[in-house]
Amino acid sequence: MTSTALFKIAEEWFTQQGWTPHAFQKDAWTAFLNGRNGLLNAPTGSGKTYALWFPIVLQYIAQNPDYKTKHKKGLKAIWITPLRALSQEIRQSAERVTRDLGTPLTVGIRTGDTSTSERQKQRRSMPDLLITTPESLQLLLATKGYPDIFRSCFAIVVDEWHELLGTKRGVQMELGLSRLKSITKDLRIWGISATIGNLEEAREVLLGPDTDHWKNSILLRAELNKKITVRSIIPETMETFPWRGHLGLRLLESVIPIIEQSKTTLIFTNTRSQCEIWFQKILERHPELAGEIAMHHGSINKETRLWVEQAIRNESLKAVVCTSSLDLGVDFAPVETVVQIGGPKGVARFLQRAGRSGHRPGQESVIYFLPTHAIELVEASALQQAVKSKAVEDRIPYLNSYDVLVQYLTTLAVSDGFYPEEIYPEIQSTFCYQGMSREEWEWLLNYIALGSQSLQSYDEYKKVTVAEDGCFKVTNRGVAMRHRFQIGTIVGDANITVRYQKGGYIGTIEEHFISKLKRGDVFTFAGRNLEFIRIKEMQVLVRNSSKKTSKVPAWMGGRLTLSAQMSKILREELYTASRPTSEQSIEIQSLAPVFARQRAESTVPKPKEFLIETFKTRDGYHHVFYPFEGRFVHEALGSLLSYRISLLLPISFSLAFNDYGFELLSDKEVDMQQVLDNDLFTTDYLLEDLQKSLNSTEMARRKFRDIAVISGLVFTGYPEKGIKMKHLQSSSQLLFDVFKDYEPDNLLYLQAYRETFEHQLEEGRLRLALQRIAGQEIVWKACKKPTPFSFPIITDRLREKLSSEKLADRIRKMTAILNK
Amino acid sequence: MTLDISIYEEIFTLHPSGALFWRGPKILLISDVHLGKVSHFRKSGAAIPRGAIHKNFELLNKVIDHFDPLEVYFMGDLFHSYLNGEWQLFEAWIGEQKHHTTLVAGNHDIISPLKFESLGVKVYPVIRKHPFFFTHHPSEEEGYFNFSGHLHPAVRLRGVGRQSLRLPCFFKNEKQMILPAFGEFTGSHVLSPGKKDQVYAIAGNEVIDVSPSFSK
Repeated sequence: MTSTALFKIAEEWFTQQGWTPHAFQKDAWTAFLNGRNGLLNAPTGSGKTYALWFPIVLQYIAQNPDYKTKHKKGLKAIWITPLRALSQEIRQSAERVTRDLGTPLTVGIRTGDTSTSERQKQRRSMPDLLITTPESLQLLLATKGYPDIFRSCFAIVVDEWHELLGTKRGVQMELGLSRLKSITKDLRIWGISATIGNLEEAREVLLGPDTDHWKNSILLRAELNKKITVRSIIPETMETFPWRGHLGLRLLESVIPIIEQSKTTLIFTNTRSQCEIWFQKILERHPELAGEIAMHHGSINKETRLWVEQAIRNESLKAVVCTSSLDLGVDFAPVETVVQIGGPKGVARFLQRAGRSGHRPGQESVIYFLPTHAIELVEASALQQAVKSKAVEDRIPYLNSYDVLVQYLTTLAVSDGFYPEEIYPEIQSTFCYQGMSREEWEWLLNYIALGSQSLQSYDEYKKVTVAEDGCFKVTNRGVAMRHRFQIGTIVGDANITVRYQKGGYIGTIEEHFISKLKRGDVFTFAGRNLEFIRIKEMQVLVRNSSKKTSKVPAWMGGRLTLSAQMSKILREELYTASRPTSEQSIEIQSLAPVFARQRAESTVPKPKEFLIETFKTRDGYHHVFYPFEGRFVHEALGSLLSYRISLLLPISFSLAFNDYGFELLSDKEVDMQQVLDNDLFTTDYLLEDLQKSLNSTEMARRKFRDIAVISGLVFTGYPEKGIKMKHLQSSSQLLFDVFKDYEPDNLLYLQAYRETFEHQLEEGRLRLALQRIAGQEIVWKACKKPTPFSFPIITDRLREKLSSEKLADRIRKMTAILNK
Repeated sequence: MTLDISIYEEIFTLHPSGALFWRGPKILLISDVHLGKVSHFRKSGAAIPRGAIHKNFELLNKVIDHFDPLEVYFMGDLFHSYLNGEWQLFEAWIGEQKHHTTLVAGNHDIISPLKFESLGVKVYPVIRKHPFFFTHHPSEEEGYFNFSGHLHPAVRLRGVGRQSLRLPCFFKNEKQMILPAFGEFTGSHVLSPGKKDQVYAIAGNEVIDVSPSFSK
């Protein structure tokens, strides 16, 4: 069939629906049918699924002209989604195409939710079109005889690629693709991404730098000019508006009229606990909304989440309080308005959330920003600017993630086994491992086969064995079974299931929260007040309670940081504080009383000024610095500076930081003049000093946790089964120390440091920040009491530590002072 | 640097390795060594560095050289799991020792007592030497003072400027003394001391009485 004829089929279908295909959809069809690969930049709800399902089905029609009567079995195409919750939606749109075009193609889903019997059925006969997740794809590669499953596959689409890029799931995807390229013929690879700063790089990562697939590829942009309006919710009286906090409940009443005036409103919160609290409080104060509002976050059970999503589509809900769980996928046409509570920390995320509203053609997207404390109004103002200039940040891809590679190689060894010489070139062709040396490769092979570099006679290490013909294979069933359970790269705190004692699944909660509860304690979860009864076989048993409670589970990992772009805009907005009112945004104007208080005690920095404040409280001596560079850079700067000061005198610090600045708190006063005289902000010896600061070891220790789990050093147990593998459990913290003492050249151990510097401390940004500070005039204010700017920082209780005092001295001091 | 304390008019020396020496009868108490843990992990496919295996024996030799005891009581969890290659190392090590060795069996000690007895190591669930009795799990018995392990006790100290420290410790009250874990690669568990508890923290090469922090 000619491509014109194929096109006609597609266009006729659109006409039947009363739609006209977008230019980007037609471009994608053409490129795909011409055998090209590519990355499609299109937002959610733009019809991106039809842009790629269509050419896949058309391709099948072209290759099988008698498609209406005959059905050629076997997998044809794979659609990867990062969230299994989206798979139903994707299946529906795929089935619409296959059915309406009269093809016999079947569509199937394979995710963690798929039943074992369904999976076995798929093993015997794969659906033609398979919707799956990166983890489930890896699990397929851990299946015996996997090349036969994929042999007939001619297309793979990676949806929401921007969400995977910059994570280890993305690396896992790169590796999976590198294998699929070899075991299929003419595989077309496509990604779909929302707008990010580095789209070109995103395409390169997906397809592999300098590969044939990359050379024969295209970047398509859906130019849908969507008007986005940002409205800040400004407190009526600034005098009583809090200087710190992250909940934003003070402005709850301003949200009610927004909910009332619009058909459906999505209220985005930054953390799951914040989501729970907001839901609870809205109902408490406005019981009339009961039944009309709902809650949606990642820890709530699947049925409830699906019900909420369906209810949004049916327009049966006025508002949904949610987290990033509703960032992705699912098109919610009825959503008219979006409210963002607290800083979204990134422009891309904010735009994406804004884009959830006003999906109908010609409608504008409206997003309200609700600040949770005074200084966040500066962020509100900055967001206005950012949306105007579309300053979207990059997603930085991982490089040389050895942990993911160890997992992948073991996966291949679990299924059919692998020959290093066959796999090595595939791995080198990926973006992540393009710089990996032959020595590092040899090291990794030794690692999985011998457990380290040299085999000793009485060693009992068992993982991968090398057959006589050089095939690396897992022969131990226990190792294979544990590995299959462990596949996946998302590492969270150990999660534990919450159930009613009488039966009924409610959701999952982090173990560390539950461990603090006693029998009879009441906590809020999934919008209910629950009484803790006991823990049984990895399940928390609860019953409903009518008691009021303030305990809300905190989920870790909720701390985001401002991007470099956003930080810059934020600084510029703050600098307008010293300009005439007429040149200020409404948000900055409304902050006048706060600026006045700040000026009375200290100053509001101008463009060429770097502000340092010192003061004393009951907690000790506070030294607060304001680079306005985002949390991660501040973490690094604080660590660096405290280390350099600790070289001048024995001293102990506790460090706190937020997106605006950082604090060094000590029981001694630091002579700030000495800090300035010694040029402690220099970029000389930057990396060496950072590495030596105790803090980087602590950060690496935390990074190592994920690495240990991903690479299989720590076994997390059998999920849901409640089987405890007590003798195989250890904390990654302990492991980290063992590596530090006995194998400091271990690549996985070193990776923890590298990730700390590249992804956490953001060394590159840190260097730029220091250079910028070098060009600024330092303004040191010795204050009498805490200033409005310092308040959110000094009240933060999550702290890092650094000390150059002798341990015994510190203990004696602590013991003595407390004994006074 | 060690620290001497007195319990029922007997002198006990606390060693920063976590060992405790009863001076009168020259008995050395060592708890929760977890030998074989590294090998157990390696056998299951987790590549823990082998160097950590030898560290336990180095530490044992060091503390035994220091006190020169007549008898060593291992207070339970001497071996982490089933028999593996580290048993041979233990066998060789025991062969070189002059002192008597006794194991007070713990929850991890699932290796047959016969295996230990073939090396001349006696195994008991509990040992009584009035007014003291020795068990793996902390226990109480009328008229006796209990020595035990099992918990891997640690303590958290707080200071001005929001400082805090977590340290392994010897944990004592009127009726019992809980020893810290001796082994490398064993971990610890933070306890919250009450006013009457005595807490001796291990700070590098020192043992420091930190009880005053909790007595107010």
